[in-house]
Amino acid sequence: MDTTVGDVYEVFRQEEQGDPFRHAGNLLAPDDDLALQYARDLYGRRHESVRLWVVRRAAIMEVKDADLLASQLDRTYREGAGYRITVEKRKALRARVAAERGEAK
Amino acid sequence: MIDEKLVPLLMALADDELVLGYRDSEWTGIAPLLEEDVALSSMAQDEIGHARMFYEMVSGILDKSPDSIALGREPSGFHHCRLVERPRGDWAYSMARQFLYDAADGVRLEMLTRSTHKPLALGVAKVIREEKYHRMHGESWIGKLAHGTDESHRRLEAALLQLWPDLPGFFEPVEGEAELVKAGVLPEPFSALLPRWWQVVEPVLARHGLHGPNLGLNAFSDHSGYGGREGRHSEDFVKLWNEMTLVYGVDPEAVW
Amino acid sequence: MEDQAQIDEFKARIDAGGKVEVGDWMPEDYRTRAIRFIEMHGNSELMGALPERDWILRAPSLRRKLALTAKIQDEVGHGQLLYRVAEDLGKPREAMLEDLIAGRTKFHNVFHYPTRTWADVAIIGWLVDAAAIVSQTALRSSSYAPYARTMTRICWEEAFHLKQGEDAVLTLMAGTERQKEMCQEALNRWWGPLMHMHGPNTPAERDGDLAWKIKTKCNYDLRQEFLATYIPKIREIGLEVPDPNMRHDQATGSWLYTEPDWEELKTVVRGAGPASQERLGFRRFNYEETRWVRDAVLGSASVAA
Repeated sequence: MDTTVGDVYEVFRQEEQGDPFRHAGNLLAPDDDLALQYARDLYGRRHESVRLWVVRRAAIMEVKDADLLASQLDRTYREGAGYRITVEKRKALRARVAAERGEAK
Repeated sequence: MIDEKLVPLLMALADDELVLGYRDSEWTGIAPLLEEDVALSSMAQDEIGHARMFYEMVSGILDKSPDSIALGREPSGFHHCRLVERPRGDWAYSMARQFLYDAADGVRLEMLTRSTHKPLALGVAKVIREEKYHRMHGESWIGKLAHGTDESHRRLEAALLQLWPDLPGFFEPVEGEAELVKAGVLPEPFSALLPRWWQVVEPVLARHGLHGPNLGLNAFSDHSGYGGREGRHSEDFVKLWNEMTLVYGVDPEAVW
Repeated sequence: MEDQAQIDEFKARIDAGGKVEVGDWMPEDYRTRAIRFIEMHGNSELMGALPERDWILRAPSLRRKLALTAKIQDEVGHGQLLYRVAEDLGKPREAMLEDLIAGRTKFHNVFHYPTRTWADVAIIGWLVDAAAIVSQTALRSSSYAPYARTMTRICWEEAFHLKQGEDAVLTLMAGTERQKEMCQEALNRWWGPLMHMHGPNTPAERDGDLAWKIKTKCNYDLRQEFLATYIPKIREIGLEVPDPNMRHDQATGSWLYTEPDWEELKTVVRGAGPASQERLGFRRFNYEETRWVRDAVLGSASVAA
């Protein structure tokens, strides 16, 4: 960080009311007040934002270790896609039930 | 090396993770903080996942499904150490056990990456990557409880003392260990890991003022906590086993 | 004293589809209703962990155990997300937990009933979650934006809950006679609570949560949506819906059914359901047992409600 020009601030932008805030970029500013003003000039001058969040980069912590974020073993049991088999199971069962009901008549 | 000879080793690895995973999952829904609740559920899943990986290896050897291996045995057919079968206790007990177990498991897994049995070495490398978070979590909690309140410190010490006699059991030899060592499947006997485990644990305990005459290698009596690897378990495990197999046991032939 | 003009302006903004963020000015009635609504949702996620929790140890295969643990983990995680939203609106987490265990606040009716067999877990996973997802999907357009965004995440996470429950039900229905019976018995037990789940048909004009668009669909529409999707799915796999009057009315396009016993719903959510006190007692016990941990890591602030 170059302290002669100020601090780095990260800017998050909301495009439409209710939208999640997305990272837009960052800026340099000598203090918090000017950081807010610059955020408006740098990330809002085309009316592309309805709100901005501005946070000092130094306040941001990070988790990026792949060992913590990407599991090594099978986790399909916790994803919808891990249950595609239900489509086949339902089809087979539906056919069986329909046949049984047909026989009962 | 005949594959069957690997089964007792794989079962010990799998059962340790399975039973600890069951114990961790007992915190799901009732942990002291919502954030910890989510964390413990993750760890429980990791452990059951690791157990499943080892059961799959056994499954390939014995031609039985991993589920029937995991749930279709009598309590005496389980080879986990006593340490993991104790009830979850209070939060201090669970955190202290997690820390001590993960340190032991860490040195064991490191050794197994040097196994001549390649599928085992490769599988273990994956497990090590998932265990990293467990170690961070356990160490954080040792520090938090040691320096929290008088009560948390007292409870943590009591937990460590209660756990201590069970620890040597982790390093109890598995059936056929000498032969496994000779073949290089086990690069070293389990007993060789004990001093290495202490090298991991001792600095953490010392840093948090948890050092004492009753918490050290010298405090271990011979074969204390042994029996688990031979299938001798406490009443605590029988109770857990009854729960584990309650539904499966209704009809082991059925698909659930 | 609130300025009526300011309230009118706020109402106009909401009516025009505007969204409210955490730091915005809002009428007290809006704030109070939003807290109560979101807090009850959070309570329900936390209490919802308990009926299924008993079955984590008993799940009949490794994959089922993993899936159930992951599902309950999500529920607690959702409790955390929702409590965060309510906390930002001004009610501290401890106050919410203390109100919950003291029985001063409510949680969803379905979590006041016991889970008797593995099939109950399967039926809950499939149909209780399905009914909940119908409501939660609608809440993605709530006027309170942090809540709406949280619902988007929750719906995304819950997609698998429904599937794992459906998979468990299909497996039972394709299984032995005993398994099929278990499944039908569970459906019979859960049918009443399921029909209660979306609440009585309150007229829209009398529903303040709807007026502020904290929620966006009325109870009647939510229940119709649930029935339209799930009655055919239930029937085609050999399960019988335990309501002889359940049928689709071609003329109106809606589903007709035996009117649920709304007195039972009132009684249940007041804390007099078959498992209400046991569940609250269990949560209270664990909350007290772990208080020392919160004191140790959060300091004495954690005990102040």
